[in-house]
Amino acid sequence: MDIPILLILMLVPLIGAIATLFMGGSKSKYAVYVAGVFSAIALVMSVYLLFVSDLGSLDISYVWIEAAGLRMNFALGVDGLSILMVFLTSLLVFLVVLFSSTEKDRPNYFHTLLLIMEVGLLGVYLAQDYFLFYIMWEVTLIPMFFLISWYGGPRRHYAAIKFFIYTHVASLVMLIGIFALVFQAAQYSVSGLIDFSFASVAMNAVLFSSTFQTLVFGLLFFGFIVKMPIVPFHTWLPDAHVEAPTGGSVLLAGVMLKMGSYGIIRVCLEVLPQGAISWQWVMIILGVISMIYGAYACIAQKDLKKMVAYSSISHMGMVLIGIGCLSQIGIEFAIFQMFAHGLIAAVLFMVCGLAGHNFGTREIPLLGGMAGKAPIFAAFMMFAFMASLGLPGLMGFVAEFGLLYGFWEFMVANNCMWMIVFGMISMMLTAGYYLWAMQRTLFGKLTDKIDIEHAHDVSKIEAVVMGVLCALIALFGIMPNIVTDFIVNYAMILGGIF
Amino acid sequence: MSLDLSFINTIFGDFVPIAPEIIMIIGLLLIPALFFITKNGKVPAACALIVIALTAVLTGLMMYDGGFYGTYANLFTFDAFSGLMMELFLIVVFLVVLISPASPEVTKHKGEYYSLLLAASTGMLFVAGASSLLTIFVGVELVSIVSYALVALKKNDPRASEAAVKYLIIGGLSSALTLYGISMLYGLTGTLQISEIGAAIASMSFNVPFVIAMIAIIAGYGFKIAAVPFHMWAPDVYEGAATPISTYLAVGSKKMGFVVLFKIFLVMFVVAQSGFATGEMQYVFAAIAAITMTVGNVVAISQKNIKRMLAYSSIAQAGYILIVLAVMSEYALTGGLFHMFTHVFMKGGAFIVVAALITVGIGEKISDYKGLAKRAPLVAAAMLLFLFSLAGIPPLAGFTSKFVLFSGAIYVNGVVQTQWIWLAFIAILNSAISLYYYAKVVKAMYIDKGESEEKLKVKKSHAVAIAICVIAVVALGVFPGPLLQLCADAAAVLFI
Repeated sequence: MDIPILLILMLVPLIGAIATLFMGGSKSKYAVYVAGVFSAIALVMSVYLLFVSDLGSLDISYVWIEAAGLRMNFALGVDGLSILMVFLTSLLVFLVVLFSSTEKDRPNYFHTLLLIMEVGLLGVYLAQDYFLFYIMWEVTLIPMFFLISWYGGPRRHYAAIKFFIYTHVASLVMLIGIFALVFQAAQYSVSGLIDFSFASVAMNAVLFSSTFQTLVFGLLFFGFIVKMPIVPFHTWLPDAHVEAPTGGSVLLAGVMLKMGSYGIIRVCLEVLPQGAISWQWVMIILGVISMIYGAYACIAQKDLKKMVAYSSISHMGMVLIGIGCLSQIGIEFAIFQMFAHGLIAAVLFMVCGLAGHNFGTREIPLLGGMAGKAPIFAAFMMFAFMASLGLPGLMGFVAEFGLLYGFWEFMVANNCMWMIVFGMISMMLTAGYYLWAMQRTLFGKLTDKIDIEHAHDVSKIEAVVMGVLCALIALFGIMPNIVTDFIVNYAMILGGIF
Repeated sequence: MSLDLSFINTIFGDFVPIAPEIIMIIGLLLIPALFFITKNGKVPAACALIVIALTAVLTGLMMYDGGFYGTYANLFTFDAFSGLMMELFLIVVFLVVLISPASPEVTKHKGEYYSLLLAASTGMLFVAGASSLLTIFVGVELVSIVSYALVALKKNDPRASEAAVKYLIIGGLSSALTLYGISMLYGLTGTLQISEIGAAIASMSFNVPFVIAMIAIIAGYGFKIAAVPFHMWAPDVYEGAATPISTYLAVGSKKMGFVVLFKIFLVMFVVAQSGFATGEMQYVFAAIAAITMTVGNVVAISQKNIKRMLAYSSIAQAGYILIVLAVMSEYALTGGLFHMFTHVFMKGGAFIVVAALITVGIGEKISDYKGLAKRAPLVAAAMLLFLFSLAGIPPLAGFTSKFVLFSGAIYVNGVVQTQWIWLAFIAILNSAISLYYYAKVVKAMYIDKGESEEKLKVKKSHAVAIAICVIAVVALGVFPGPLLQLCADAAAVLFI
């Protein structure tokens, strides 16, 4: 088929963003409809992608810049690694648009920013060219900066600037890594052109020396783990999450953090396998530290949203462990966890946002007995917490089970079975902070510290949005093979390299 | 497609290589005369725009054909490099002339003002075409002397007078230093042709006069490009001068300094090959580059006046371009030239926004920009684009040019080298620092609440100039290919 469907997939939200921008002033109540229609089209298209049997046939590549010996391509493609992320992006953007339909403050800008985010995120996951990849990587920053600084909480200016500069610095370090990668590859290229496409770099990358691979892996790895984020480079995340509006948080945790782990798999592992082997222990150790530190920090949090933010750090630490195993199972379930965490974190942040909105506060000590006051809210919160802590039957369990299995394989191979202790500690801490938070907010005596008169339950549209996500979480929890079928081939090939 | 361009030869005869300058000189003589005859304040500006456009078209045609490349009396050369640089200077002066009539700072002396602007530009064109140290020096002096007068034009404003005197003294010092260095070089090598000097020093051994000559020339032209530690004048002068003139100095006369440095040092040392002193010179330039970008960016953070902030950011940008002289490779020069072009539009655009806002009564402090997004949404959006482009956020022009320029520090002469990778790191970290102070302006415009909600309407000519810059910043970011190729062709000229 000759229709460049991936290009159209990226253009739809872009056109939607421009169209939504003009829905200002008296027309502002239509902004959400325009944004909804365009994000729905994008969602339908990415669902269609799930049913395409030969994904390779969708690849497109146009020469974009060819000058001064450089060649940048506008190349898009989708494979087992990116297809779930593409689906997740368009699903979450659509749901966030619906969820934020009550936004009263300049809704046209809000939804425009969401759609620009979608363009950037889809670009990152679809790009098959380092230049395009980097541009899209940075494009995601600007809408998020404005989402936080226009629609965020009281300390939004600080959080927005910190987020922007922190992640921008990391991207720049990554950029040096990309320079080194591409220019080194160009030395071996037959045409003599400095070609930025993934394919051309990958072809020449087999000739890289292992010292070079180790060095460049480090540069790229730093750029990616700041985005994930991995302890000790995580400090921007809690600030950004606490101050971001709910829609921003959902996209930030749901898909933006995955850019980091996606980058590690796509660039570091695929292109620099030797480097990956020399950095394997660093990945494992940083992953373990993140997993445990994130969970540990959760216990101390008073703000529900900050707690969920730290739990994201913990879960992304697990993803890094899975990647660090450098095996089929590890990579497969790292990707699974990325997808699972995307869905679960979306519900989690929606719940936190609703707590702030419906009850007037997200402070755990101020809440209590909310289950009686807002039963539907309580049901969603319990479901999300259970999914996140790994209750069997839900998606989080499958992901954690697979990751621990991969980790176990790694431990057996390296004769360090005692490391399973870390997995156990993390699971206990996770169960602990979730259950404790739930106990304090939902159950017990009805609080008298908040304005209970005005506390209300979730609205219909919010319930529908969260309901869809919860249904998917349960469906994929019971039948994980639906998801793994997409990943398994990719993971087998990549895991086979090591 | 073929054009019959033989008429250029018919008109200019042997003078073809300096044809653009000839048109400019005729124009700059005509303008005051026309003004005195018509007494109409609009005539000089319109006339200047026509002359500049005519020259730009002529230069473009001559570059397009390629058959007009040649040398005039061993003093001036017209080639792909000088042609491209001439276009750069013409774009700058075009933008400056475009915004001048609407600027309240340019009220009296209209005839002289535009004539002087064209005179300065003629000097720049001479520099672009110069192939001997003598013509370079004369061209630079033409620009400098005219610039002193232009800065002092706001003569009732003590700040402008102070700036002009400061500029005059420092400029005089820098000219004297340069001339001293040039005379030493002449004494050592017996020639003023740059390529011949290069050949002569290739076989030279270490000697003190050469070192003194180099120091004098670097210091002299270091003042022109405002490289640290020769930068102190720049913020004062940019702040004191009328904003169109600040624009002209920041984006125009600075670029001329770079053209001179490229011409002298790249040609000289490329001819000298890896001979005497090349390696040492590279480290000198690398150190100046690193210090210049760092000082520029760090000091810019604390600035409260937007013109001063832009001045320091301009110093930092000079530091980035100096990477070219440290690396001395064709690819880096391509990036440097490309960055000079994008810098014209993004820094020029930012200055034009400042000029446009001064015209409608907004002050020069960053705090005066609070709430601007509500009062003038399009101007604020343009400023946002310029600032993000300066910070190197994709997909804007500044990103693409920094991309090529910084990668030039890694990819040297066809291989990945680690020699200058530290410079790339410093440049990239500086880029991140710069984001902080640009974001402060963005925050003032978009996030802070202003005291007034009243809508602002900028003058039409300002709006046109801003629109040109916006289109260029976006277009060069998304489709940099053609201009990048022109820069590569121009860079190749210096590396034969």
